[in-house]
Amino acid sequence: MVRRFFDWLDARSGFRSYLAPIRHRELPNGPGWWYTSASCLLWLFVIQLVTGLLLMTTYSPSTTTAWASVHFIEQSAAGSFIRGLHHFTSHAMIILFGIHVVRVLLSGAFRPPRELVWITGLILIPLILVWAITGNPLSAGQKGVAQIEVEGNIIGSTPLIGPVLRQILIGGDDVGNLTLTHLYFLHVGLLPLLVIGFLLVHVTQVYRHGLSATSAAQGVKATPYWPHQTVRNMIVLAAVVGTLAMLAWRHGAPLDAPTDPDLMNSPRPEWYFRWIFELRRYFTGEWEFVATLVIPAAVLIFFLTLPALDRLCSRPMSAILRTTIVFAGVGGWGWLTWTSFDHDWRDAEFLASEQDARDLAARARTLAGSRSVPHEGAAALLRDDPKTQGPLLFARHCASCHAHVDASGNGIAASEVPAPNLFGIGRAEWIAGFLDPERIVGEHYFGKTSLVDSDMATRVAELFDGKDGEKLATLRQQLAQVTRALAAEAGRPWQSESDRVDADEISGGRELLVSKFQCTDCHRFHDDGELGQAPDLTGYGSREWISAMISDPTTKRFYPGDRNDRMPSFAKDSNHVENNLLSPRELRLLVDWLRGDWYEPVNRPASDSHTGVSGLAVR
Amino acid sequence: MNRRTLLKILCGFLASATASIVAIPGISFVLAPLRRKQSATVTQRVARLSDLPIGKPVQFPIVGNHRDAWTVHDREVLGRVWVIRRDEGSAAGPESMEVTAFSTLCPHLGCALQHDAKGNQFVCPCHRAAFQLDGSRAANTDPARKNHAPRNMDSLECHVVQDGTTGESWVEVTFERFEQGLTQKVRKA
Repeated sequence: MVRRFFDWLDARSGFRSYLAPIRHRELPNGPGWWYTSASCLLWLFVIQLVTGLLLMTTYSPSTTTAWASVHFIEQSAAGSFIRGLHHFTSHAMIILFGIHVVRVLLSGAFRPPRELVWITGLILIPLILVWAITGNPLSAGQKGVAQIEVEGNIIGSTPLIGPVLRQILIGGDDVGNLTLTHLYFLHVGLLPLLVIGFLLVHVTQVYRHGLSATSAAQGVKATPYWPHQTVRNMIVLAAVVGTLAMLAWRHGAPLDAPTDPDLMNSPRPEWYFRWIFELRRYFTGEWEFVATLVIPAAVLIFFLTLPALDRLCSRPMSAILRTTIVFAGVGGWGWLTWTSFDHDWRDAEFLASEQDARDLAARARTLAGSRSVPHEGAAALLRDDPKTQGPLLFARHCASCHAHVDASGNGIAASEVPAPNLFGIGRAEWIAGFLDPERIVGEHYFGKTSLVDSDMATRVAELFDGKDGEKLATLRQQLAQVTRALAAEAGRPWQSESDRVDADEISGGRELLVSKFQCTDCHRFHDDGELGQAPDLTGYGSREWISAMISDPTTKRFYPGDRNDRMPSFAKDSNHVENNLLSPRELRLLVDWLRGDWYEPVNRPASDSHTGVSGLAVR
Repeated sequence: MNRRTLLKILCGFLASATASIVAIPGISFVLAPLRRKQSATVTQRVARLSDLPIGKPVQFPIVGNHRDAWTVHDREVLGRVWVIRRDEGSAAGPESMEVTAFSTLCPHLGCALQHDAKGNQFVCPCHRAAFQLDGSRAANTDPARKNHAPRNMDSLECHVVQDGTTGESWVEVTFERFEQGLTQKVRKA
């Protein structure tokens, strides 16, 4: 039945005669493992087309949607695997292409009449490399966008045509919507078409002239390609695809943080362009295009002329020439690549910035996973994240006086005058330091400020004066209760539960604060005491309190007049916010970060998870 | 000319005429980015003079409406500048005070220059180009590496101006972009 159908089809279409070259293909020297590279590459190419088309169903190229749609793909069923397979296959194709070229060189398969096979193959090398790198920035991640910015500027600094080419590719001064649509067009449109075109010529030429120039050796019987070579091809292909699938399953493709020029990073090219990155070190200034353009072009042209060069050589000379090229090529490439990586691996600053990039990426994915991406684009995820922005704002505006370091000394150190350490501001552990006669005059509190000999320090010292044994224990226990009551004023979202449990202790602490310790002699606390002498304890450490303190510490509520020791007012003018040091948004981010109030995927006090993504701020 | 040659020429002519119907608008469409004017100079007050520390560079964003092909982003960061106040002040008044501003873009390939507090230099994270605080190219801390910068940092026009109502002194920077990778400072068209 099936046979009759194909007979009918053949009678109408003649398809068997089209397929005859494949069916009757023979290998004069028998099958071989070396020959498998070509077929493997072809099938990987097909995998790229299929996975690429699948990704196209969901990907959306624009600055606001690119990262979000890629993140969406990662969250969809099998999306992460498909994207991972696409990613790892692109790298595998480049490695296999290298092996393929080495095989052709060693077997002299570029000799006439196979010049066209050789030439189309060589043209495919830069095409496939460019095809691969045009895919990287499509996710609008930090690394990919930094890469296209630098690549654009490399193109732009090429003499004569450079600036025009750059302008067309980037679509303007900055990487933006048009850059993404242009790269998308190249990646899924023009380059695949060109690659398919050259592949067609390449493959039909191979069929026409056979795989290799070497004539059949004595006593070797010609073997049909199918299935003797095909089974070898399939074994290699299955092994390669199996490995790639495992990598894709285990690791998936990387997804960096959404690009944002405010978050520093150290862009590097992909591993297959590292040799050019390294070459650039030897050509500076106006001569850089030698490394990026002249040398790669010279290498390509040399290879193009190889069939002609080879013809001038005797047989043994040709063998020497070809082996030298393979060793010099692989060795030179390997050495440049290794040196470049080695340099970076020894560079502590580079490694730290890589770690920051990984932290930011993880944070962005966490945020996107929790509440999806806002319509203004994925960059807003990290821009509106206290955990990310807080350390940067603190380092910029506060760290010249204040430190923000935990008990083990990790965090942001103050650069000049140590004002109080603000790590854990408003929390019980932090407040306890003010009620300890030694810590209050230590460098983490008032030690280096004019408040070191204030009434506060004196009165705390008096409390402890001459107390020991049971009396001291009682005092400490009572102060802990006051501390607990003050910490409750902050009203952090995650502490509401424990505040309810400790309600008795808190109300006892409030009572002690007013009646026993008479804090309200100077401080105001709810209905007791007056403002003007010492900071208000009502709502101490709450978002509103810290915000008001940073905005203007010189008001009656905090440190009026000369009580204020050098603290600037960061947002005094609420009518003209552009005149303030901190914008309302920055102030909110800073305060939320100081309070440890940011999103974390598991339900726990956020500030216990240390200081946030502060690596960027520490340096 | 015989009839056959004439027909061949006619075919060739009609084919190229038809092709140009697609090709000419096609080329013009692809080249469209060349005709879009983008680089606008922005003059902006970045900071109160009194808020600037002396001798320590501070980075400020330049904010404006950013047009990205078909979208407009209001109050988007257009670029960044490093501002350094050099001296304590002089008798001639705040307007004569020396304040300098630089683009944060490395003149080499446009990566964002960072201030390295240890070496008190500007350093590029991409190819480790280094600059002194006056913007001139510095010797690289790692002698194995050349300084890739083709020119000194791009300085920007920068003045101290007095606010008409409050009388406070503000630092005003004119932000511009320059072509990367050239030995000369060429304004982007």
